[in-house]
Amino acid sequence: MKKNYLRVLIFMTIFGLLFAANAFAAPPSKLVIGHPACLSGKYAKAGEQAIGGVKACIDWVNNVYGGILVGGKRVPLEYKYYDCESKKEGVTSLIERLITVDKVNVVFSAYSSGLTLAGAPVAERYSMLYMDHGGASDRIFQQGFQYIVQTIGPGSKYHVGTLSMIDHFDPEAKKVALAYEDSEFARMTMGGAEKHAKKLGKKIVFKRTYPKGVTDLTPLLSDMKARKPDIVVGGGHYEDGQLFARQMSDLDINVKALSLVASATLPAYYKALGGGIAEGVMGPSHWEYGVTFSPDGAMKVGLDWIGPGQDEFVSLFKKALGKDMIPDYHAAEAGAQVLAYVKAVENIGSVDQFKVRAALGKLKFMSFYGGWDVDDTGMQIGHSMVDMQWQNGKRVIVWPLEAATGNLIYPKPKF
Amino acid sequence: MKKTLPKYYPLIPVFAAYLIMFLVGFSIPGMWQMVALLAFYCALGQSWNIFMGMTGYVDFGYVTFIALGTYGMSLGITYLSQYEWLGIGIIVIGFILALFLASLSALLEAFIALRLRGAYFAIACIGINEGLRYLIEGAKFWGGSEGLIFFGALVQALGRETVNQLTTFWADFSVFIIAALAAFLNMHYMRSKIGYALTAVREDEDAAKVMGINANKYKTIAFLTSGWLGAAVGAMAWGLKLGYVYPGDVFVIHYTVECIVVVLLGGAGTLLGPVIGGLIYGLSKYWLAVIMPGFQLLIFAPIIIIIIVVAPEGVVGLLKSKLKGTKLEMFIE
Repeated sequence: MKKNYLRVLIFMTIFGLLFAANAFAAPPSKLVIGHPACLSGKYAKAGEQAIGGVKACIDWVNNVYGGILVGGKRVPLEYKYYDCESKKEGVTSLIERLITVDKVNVVFSAYSSGLTLAGAPVAERYSMLYMDHGGASDRIFQQGFQYIVQTIGPGSKYHVGTLSMIDHFDPEAKKVALAYEDSEFARMTMGGAEKHAKKLGKKIVFKRTYPKGVTDLTPLLSDMKARKPDIVVGGGHYEDGQLFARQMSDLDINVKALSLVASATLPAYYKALGGGIAEGVMGPSHWEYGVTFSPDGAMKVGLDWIGPGQDEFVSLFKKALGKDMIPDYHAAEAGAQVLAYVKAVENIGSVDQFKVRAALGKLKFMSFYGGWDVDDTGMQIGHSMVDMQWQNGKRVIVWPLEAATGNLIYPKPKF
Repeated sequence: MKKTLPKYYPLIPVFAAYLIMFLVGFSIPGMWQMVALLAFYCALGQSWNIFMGMTGYVDFGYVTFIALGTYGMSLGITYLSQYEWLGIGIIVIGFILALFLASLSALLEAFIALRLRGAYFAIACIGINEGLRYLIEGAKFWGGSEGLIFFGALVQALGRETVNQLTTFWADFSVFIIAALAAFLNMHYMRSKIGYALTAVREDEDAAKVMGINANKYKTIAFLTSGWLGAAVGAMAWGLKLGYVYPGDVFVIHYTVECIVVVLLGGAGTLLGPVIGGLIYGLSKYWLAVIMPGFQLLIFAPIIIIIIVVAPEGVVGLLKSKLKGTKLEMFIE
């Protein structure tokens, strides 16, 4: 009988020790971000920017912020990345390696919706938190993935700000024309624009796509001219965005507002059009150098602030890449994603994948990138796009007003 | 039995290589997706080699079959997942659809392009590939340029746990089976009337025709077989595994170039060549991407050049000459 008591005592002691060890597990000595980055291949430019953005924010977290607070202890963030060559086969094999060999705590997706989708099943298989800073397709979040969270704004929201801005300044501008490239991205953005335009009471007077690599838009633009739109929203890529404005100028199509996606925001756009034609042309962007998001602004809208200010981010970005290069939105969204992860882990004091995913679902904050909030599916809903306009050869942020660096020139100057 | 066994001896090293790859991936944590990548390249090389190796025709539009295979599986899952009673049958139907689309394309290409030779054949194949892509995008069928995303539909039809297993294990495992089947068919053709006829066509097509060989018939058989296998790889490695398809992501000539590199590295027209080529190509790319991210292509290009210079007939050509007269010779084909 005595022996039995002894056995029970030993068993309970061992069980108690194991329980205690589990309950008071030592915090990890570091947290690692894994990333199958696009360092080569067709997304190499965006990939380099993303790496710079991640490194810059990790530098800020480790050296300015003092590390990430987990289990009562501040631990550093580390960054492990490989080159997926912008290919789906690379993404799947490298994500598995990051999870199983490198034991990372979170995986950042590769750039583009396709590559984000390619990696998602592997991340789900390992119940690994998968943060998307490069896949803008809304449809990613309609697949029921449980561990995915988006930082980049969804494609359908690109022109929401543009149309709201025009409605704010000129509610009488009702006639909207949509002319865009026949691609998944452009269809997604224009679908969102059409929906929002109708919500604002606007009338879609023209809607047509053109093929990729188009070399002549005059038939389409002539037809569009006949519908006399007030607002033209369109584009798809850099080359057709140039052609669009140039041929509108040739055909003397003057409208109150012209916004072109994925082209007008690029610094080379103005020069490529020889200046004048680009004057007044607008474009939506996730982030632009010059935005004025700040801790004070965050306080005004009741959001927590974390991370470096814009200038500090730019300086850390340059240091990270060793180049005198201004970061673009690819860098900013990847950097903001680091900050979102830090906030979520600190909010719950745990690195458990499921708990961090849940914490990200509840998280709302502001950083140099702007607002951050996701819906139940993980899709970004808190980040507003900024709209920039070419004014005297300079890119001026005109919307939202809290981030604006100048006033909108409206109506757009004639070609 | 004694008569038939030796002719399949060269399959032993091929199957052994696949078995070792499978066991490595299955037993070592973190290795499965890497060996799946290797199996993908080996299967593609093996499938492409069936036609090119025996006929000498370089099909630059081969990716069309892989893409159509992906579409077959994607269409099957997208449109049939609503019928719950079909269960896992949607994947079987998707696979059959993949083979059907590949058959249509192969017969169309055989009708148009196989009448041509050399550069004209290569250009015609590229034209068909690009034409199909723009047809899908322009005519806006099968999702048009927006493609098809069906991971969610698959989860709804089969359940999350089953889909996790399907996308991250069984899809890859089936690529091993396709690679092994491709090797077997390659060997079988090499040792049968089809192989002899195609060898005659490769050496001198006009002379072969004069001798009474129906060149078009045998070329079409090899082309169709090669296309089926490519479509099967596409259906499993891109369709089922990834759960989405965009035309711009699958009708990409780069993948045909990869097939060519894999086969030429290992040895064109050989059985073991695509396996060795696939291993060299896949392993180099994977490890260089891990060790030197961003610089791997700078290192990789000289590796390919050195191999081609040292072994102009591929690694298997070099092996054959080294093993000539030894007992191992009968295993190398």
